[in-house]
Amino acid sequence: MEETMNARQRVLGLLTRRPVDGPACFSGMGNVTTAGLERLECSFPSVHADAVKMADLAATSFELFGYESAVVPFDLCVEAEALGCAINTYQDVPQLLYPTIRAKAIPRTEDMADFQVAADFLERGRLPVVREALRRLRQGYGDRLAVGSYMLGPFTLAGQLVELDQLFLLSLSDRRLVEELLHKLTAAVIAVGLSYREAGADFLTVREMGAATDILSPRAFQSLIQPCLREVAASLPPPRVLHICGSTDKIVALMAECGFDAISVEPKNNVRASRELVPPETLIFGNLDAFKLLVHGTPAQVTQAVEEALEAGVDAVWPSCDIWPEAKVENLDAMVAATRQRGAELWWRNHGS
Amino acid sequence: MPSMDEYCVQLKQAVVDYNRDQAVAIAQTIVDQGLDAQKAVFDGLIAGMQVVGKYYEDQYYFVPEMLMCAQALYSALDILKPHMPQTDLGLKGQVVMGVVQGDVHDIGKNIVKLMFEVAGFEVKDLGRDVPLDDFVREQLSSDADMVCLSAMMTTTMTGMREVIRKIKEKNPKCRIMIGGAPVTEELASKWGADGYAPDANNALREAIAMVSSLHEMYQQAQARD
Ligand code: B12
Repeated sequence: MEETMNARQRVLGLLTRRPVDGPACFSGMGNVTTAGLERLECSFPSVHADAVKMADLAATSFELFGYESAVVPFDLCVEAEALGCAINTYQDVPQLLYPTIRAKAIPRTEDMADFQVAADFLERGRLPVVREALRRLRQGYGDRLAVGSYMLGPFTLAGQLVELDQLFLLSLSDRRLVEELLHKLTAAVIAVGLSYREAGADFLTVREMGAATDILSPRAFQSLIQPCLREVAASLPPPRVLHICGSTDKIVALMAECGFDAISVEPKNNVRASRELVPPETLIFGNLDAFKLLVHGTPAQVTQAVEEALEAGVDAVWPSCDIWPEAKVENLDAMVAATRQRGAELWWRNHGS
Repeated sequence: MPSMDEYCVQLKQAVVDYNRDQAVAIAQTIVDQGLDAQKAVFDGLIAGMQVVGKYYEDQYYFVPEMLMCAQALYSALDILKPHMPQTDLGLKGQVVMGVVQGDVHDIGKNIVKLMFEVAGFEVKDLGRDVPLDDFVREQLSSDADMVCLSAMMTTTMTGMREVIRKIKEKNPKCRIMIGGAPVTEELASKWGADGYAPDANNALREAIAMVSSLHEMYQQAQARD
């Protein structure tokens, strides 16, 4: 098919299920590359609290290899920091490290019941920085690409605030306590999402990466996490995407039930089988290994993986986690090129059945 | 009154069912009646944890269930331990363990630690996001038999290489095992680690083999002196 749309039209068309000229190549998660950092001549630790650098860096993947979205922030600590965690951005470490939580907001489980989300938490930490970066992206690139942002899912966010082992134990020994915390965090996630949309995000991804079946049982997903995710989906305007990395074969149908426009999975998922389990109106994104393939693979392997993902039934070629910074530019070029060249032809939605 | 064998079966079941209260009550009864605490630990608690490990491998139990079982086990162990002769714990060796700097993924490490402790290793857990030099310092000060490094990310994984080099420089006989999703057997041998395992069960097997060979070496050396 002739290419008739620009990146923004294609991504947003796809996400709102309007006719598009082929599947898009984008994601709702981080897309920093070392090539992008070199282009801006800045270090990774310097971008996390700087709206201008954050926006500029997010846009480099579009400029360098035609990735069809720009996404901020880059780390998973933004909401947790605004809710009281201390973070480490590794300012003085030579290797590239992602920010992490240095001190939990709720170090003792005894304090869990009393935890409250501060009334002004949207103004705390780096939430204003992310919103400013979204505004800049929308102003600078809003005619060409799709602007995305993400939040952690309530359970994964709880794991940032509370010692994760304790959270796991309490999920079995004191379910009510965990449910109460998740309830508060669900409201917080929704508030952050709405504020990001207002600031200019075109679409939002909810990353509930602590909920894969490598860690939690499908029954825990269904009883503890699914109700929160349903509420998040119901309270945010479309388009919204639910991402879970790790093993998801046994929970894809439950993920789809949450009510997001798309679900995103990683290569541990058997997309062909998932496509049968997930209703056709729900899009499936992903299935491109962000590390093994994009960092260590060759352009030929990338092309092959893109074609296989499309044949298996994805609706967008979407690296299934943050693009790993050292990903080779020639691999990213190959990913975008293969999507453009073969996408429309291989896409299952174009095969009238 | 139930026999010792029956108590062991009940204790094992309490661990599998992650019923801490039950595990504690039975352990207390065993102690009160002056029964064999060592047998209770091995045929009750550890036997239970072996079932749990199998359930986890089969994806019948998941991480939270496994941690709950461990909690039941530790609570009963606290009661039984003082009633066992020290040597009967069958201490296999001392291990320093942690997740390398920049990496907070510690779910896998905690499972490996659990298996090691249950099998009788003394584990010094340095936690997650551990500055590389801390491993070296801790190994030197404790003279642990083995250091276990975990990493879940490719960027942080490279820190292991440095730790291995530094420890081997100062103490060549210390055994080092590495693991975590991105780590491979090839990388482990390239970086000079003595062992690698893809999961917690294999890690334990490997550790037992490594430490016994180390102890044999000591004994041979002592015999020569
Ligand atoms: C849960 C999770 C998180 C949680 C971690 C919570 C915690 N306290 O651990 C949170 C949300 C905080 C998180 C954060 C991030 N994550 Co994360 N996360 C995961 C996830 C979904 C599961 C990991 C897990 O616990 N698995 C279950 C355990 C049981 O398995 P395991 O760790 O492999 O352990 C077993 C073996 O490896 C082995 N083993 C482990 N250690 C050792 C040690 C020794 C000595 C031996 C012998 C064996 C051994 O035995 C264990 C038991 O059998 C994975 C996805 C996945 N598919 O694995 C991503 C993943 C690890 N994360 C990833 C990324 C990119 C991130 C972030 C950078 C995202 C961001 N933008 O900030 C941050 C990094 C923060 C940091 N600097 O550390 C990537 C890493 C990519 C790469 N290859 O480098 C992964 C692989 C996701 C992906 N598909 O790309 N994450």
